[in-house]
Amino acid sequence: MLDFLQAVSDGLLFGATYALIGIGFTLVFGVMHKLNLAYAAASVGAAYAGLLILQLAAGAPPWVVFLCAFLGGGVLGWLVYVTCFHFIPLSNPLAPLMATVGMLLLIDEIIVHLTAGMPQNYPAMFDDVMLRAGEFTLRGDLLLVAGVSVVCMIALLALLYRTRLGLATRAVSQQAVAAQLCGIRVGQVNAMTFIVTGLLGGIAGALIGASVGALSPLLTAPLTVKGLIVTVIGGLGSIPGAIVAGLLVGALENVFQQFRGVTERDLYVMLLLFAFLIFRPSGLFKQ
Amino acid sequence: MKTLAIAVALALSTSAFAQEKSIRIAGFGAKSGVVRSFGINSEAAMLAAADVINKQGGVKLADGSKAKLVIDYLDDRCTAEEGISVLRRIYGTDAIVAVGPTCSNVAEPLFGILQKKVDDKGDSGLQMPVFTDVAIKIGLAKISEWAFRNVPNESIMYSSLFYWLKTKYPNAKTVFGGVEEDFAHSRASWYAIMKDRAEANGYQVLGNSKWLLNDTNFATQVREMKNANPDIVAISAHPFTTCGVLKEMQRQGVKPKVLVGLTSSSSLETLQGCAKQAEGMIIPTSFAPVTKEGKAAAETTAKFKGAADLHSMAAWENMFILKQVIESEKISGDKSQLQADRRKIRDGLAKLRETKGLMGVTKRTDDREADKPYLFVHANKGEWKVLHNPL
Amino acid sequence: MDFYYGLAQTVGIHTLLGLSAYIVLLTGQVTLAQAAFFAIGAYAAGMLTVLAGWHIVPALGASAMFGAATACAVGFPALRVKGLMLVVATLAFGEGVRLFFFNFDYQVAKGEIKVGPLGGEGFRQIRYFQEHGWSTGEVMLFVWVFVVLAMAALWWLDRSRYGAVLRAVGEDELAAQSVGVNLTAVKVSAMTVGGAVAGIGGGLYAHYTTHIEHANFNVLLATFAIAYPIVGGLKNVFGTLAAVIFVQAFLIEGLRFLGDWRNLLFGALIVAAMNLRPQGFLGGRRA
Repeated sequence: MLDFLQAVSDGLLFGATYALIGIGFTLVFGVMHKLNLAYAAASVGAAYAGLLILQLAAGAPPWVVFLCAFLGGGVLGWLVYVTCFHFIPLSNPLAPLMATVGMLLLIDEIIVHLTAGMPQNYPAMFDDVMLRAGEFTLRGDLLLVAGVSVVCMIALLALLYRTRLGLATRAVSQQAVAAQLCGIRVGQVNAMTFIVTGLLGGIAGALIGASVGALSPLLTAPLTVKGLIVTVIGGLGSIPGAIVAGLLVGALENVFQQFRGVTERDLYVMLLLFAFLIFRPSGLFKQ
Repeated sequence: MKTLAIAVALALSTSAFAQEKSIRIAGFGAKSGVVRSFGINSEAAMLAAADVINKQGGVKLADGSKAKLVIDYLDDRCTAEEGISVLRRIYGTDAIVAVGPTCSNVAEPLFGILQKKVDDKGDSGLQMPVFTDVAIKIGLAKISEWAFRNVPNESIMYSSLFYWLKTKYPNAKTVFGGVEEDFAHSRASWYAIMKDRAEANGYQVLGNSKWLLNDTNFATQVREMKNANPDIVAISAHPFTTCGVLKEMQRQGVKPKVLVGLTSSSSLETLQGCAKQAEGMIIPTSFAPVTKEGKAAAETTAKFKGAADLHSMAAWENMFILKQVIESEKISGDKSQLQADRRKIRDGLAKLRETKGLMGVTKRTDDREADKPYLFVHANKGEWKVLHNPL
Repeated sequence: MDFYYGLAQTVGIHTLLGLSAYIVLLTGQVTLAQAAFFAIGAYAAGMLTVLAGWHIVPALGASAMFGAATACAVGFPALRVKGLMLVVATLAFGEGVRLFFFNFDYQVAKGEIKVGPLGGEGFRQIRYFQEHGWSTGEVMLFVWVFVVLAMAALWWLDRSRYGAVLRAVGEDELAAQSVGVNLTAVKVSAMTVGGAVAGIGGGLYAHYTTHIEHANFNVLLATFAIAYPIVGGLKNVFGTLAAVIFVQAFLIEGLRFLGDWRNLLFGALIVAAMNLRPQGFLGGRRA
């Protein structure tokens, strides 16, 4: 029983990393009704960008690295917007999808070239903190990730519902043409959406790097797949949905692994997704 | 008279500047993705070795003339399709042998397209000798008589390691394994090698936990390890997940008496990712810069911007072995005799019973594999230092 | 010459993969499941020629059937899922099939050695072509017979009423439905045909590489499958062929002389292609 609870709590905490990535995917989908497949790659790329600061200031504390990743994420987000979404006319829905695939490959390649593919040690905060209650343990650094996810969610919801930019974003997502007629610059709103999700992705990438302890190009593909699954289960466009779904997928994944082993684990995650698609296609929280 | 003198001078000068004869050797391997460093190092080692050989005059051909070695290196991106395409491309050039590949998951399909048995007229497989430097998964060379490998025999090395551990740590009786399940090499290395050899040496294998190549969460697996409370933990995985597991072990306070790692993880990558947590990890390897030749090879390879480790130094050794075979089999170097030359290289490699390696004499086996001298290294203060040299 | 024959084989096999996605894309369904049907075809044909000693042609026929049957089974639930959710659902299905083969062991003793798929280690020694003395040129012709047949069949379908119906569904489902088009029949049949073509492609792939494993049939291959028709344009089958030649012959082999830059250009050129010609090389509208 204790093992099961431990597996669930380990999984829940790790799921916080999926939640962070899921928020970014779902926000872009909710606003622009487009899939940005390069999101996880850009987040990991931003984390690498955070490491660049260590080249200039060798002993910099972790939070400086995270800040650089945060800013780097914003830049990368904007770049993805410009190269994949800004110039392609809306009448071609598939082209941006393929363009984001191209960006994913490009970002991965740049990372591989700059690091010769070798894993890079990542600074961590609280990685030696383990809260204990008898035999039961909780990882301190993952609690931080979970905390940051909640803070991000609150900040984003505040941005969307309490600011003019948020109002404009919601207007564009509901009726782009009408919003344009009201004087809202659609291009600018979309760019801002990408920058905001990019900033978020930067934090996500940095925290994931910190909790794994190392950055590697290997991180990109599983995060992309998990991020997409979390987005769908949570409900496309729903931010609270992405968080709950992230935690849920993280927990269940660990439970599946406990009972059926690592080779069948992902199979059950897929089945979970299918179950949602059949019985609750709009996801946990309708947008 | 003057015209005759000029004519003679011209004739003499033409033969003096006779066409520089060259023998092409093509290397191929992974220069993309997470394994990019392997390709970079192998290429550097091949270029460095060729440089040394050429500076010493080159290789001697059948007609007594000397030829320089020319090296090409192609990137197969660690995928089967590209590996096959690259080998076919090499076959179409005048290269007399191909050195590679890096990845075991490329070697297996690649050897499959080669002719299985040498004079089988009904087999339309490719007839090109391939001399592998890196791909290490057990038992691949027997797929084809055109495939040869100069990679360490993990079965022998781990057997020797566990035997030695018994003497050094007599109180250690139990082993627990960690396996990267979805990668050909690491998977085979646990089940067929580490587990098997540990049991053969009298250890009790308590079990093993599994994970996948790009997993990042090892809490459950390390908990299994903790519950088993083994004396020795053997991790058959590549640097990324090895570091992930080691960090989790540190977090959960799992401290076995002995930590054993996978051959190919005795590289810079592991130390770059988790030097602190890997402290004390013991890995058997077929190269360390402890001999005079080894140190020289490492230095020369560094000039070509490559690192010297068991993989790239195998490529270096391959070059010198090939020089020996080219000379002993009397390669013509004549483009019109290309296929005959390739056959001679194959036959020459097959005949070898032993070769000179950087650590000592390497024996060659009947199924075209190598039995390389090995030693044990351990991670010590951020470097791989020699722990025990059985030689 | 061998190299060019080999390259032609690769182009042919990838064209079959692309065509399987082409027909499904015509109906407006973005599918990342084609690599899964490809995998099923590969393992089926491999097992039939190696374990059961079948001739290659009936083995490929069986691959087509298995591919078609699975695709048909997938087609029905796929109807319930719209737009980009289908992308995620088919992605999950593809991963599910890959994970199935990761866990699939079926070995038979032939002489002293065991042959057949062995889970994570893959399925080795599928040497039908080499054992029967087929030269590289002969294999190339064999592959291209199937490619030409597939292209001809799809071209003819496209020109027929069925093709018009497919494209009508792709353009506007509601409008098509209102003129009496049976959406279910159209979408599922397109999926089935796609599955059959992918199955044949997979069967040929297994014999081309002589060794297949689960990792060959990953998300990247599934993405390539839809990349070909999107980059080539949905106007007709030649668009897909053009895209395959662009990627396999030009980007992968032709740019080899650029050394390390080749990989960086790969992603960059795809992004550029999508920005410059979002409707694909040949365009989208049927002439």
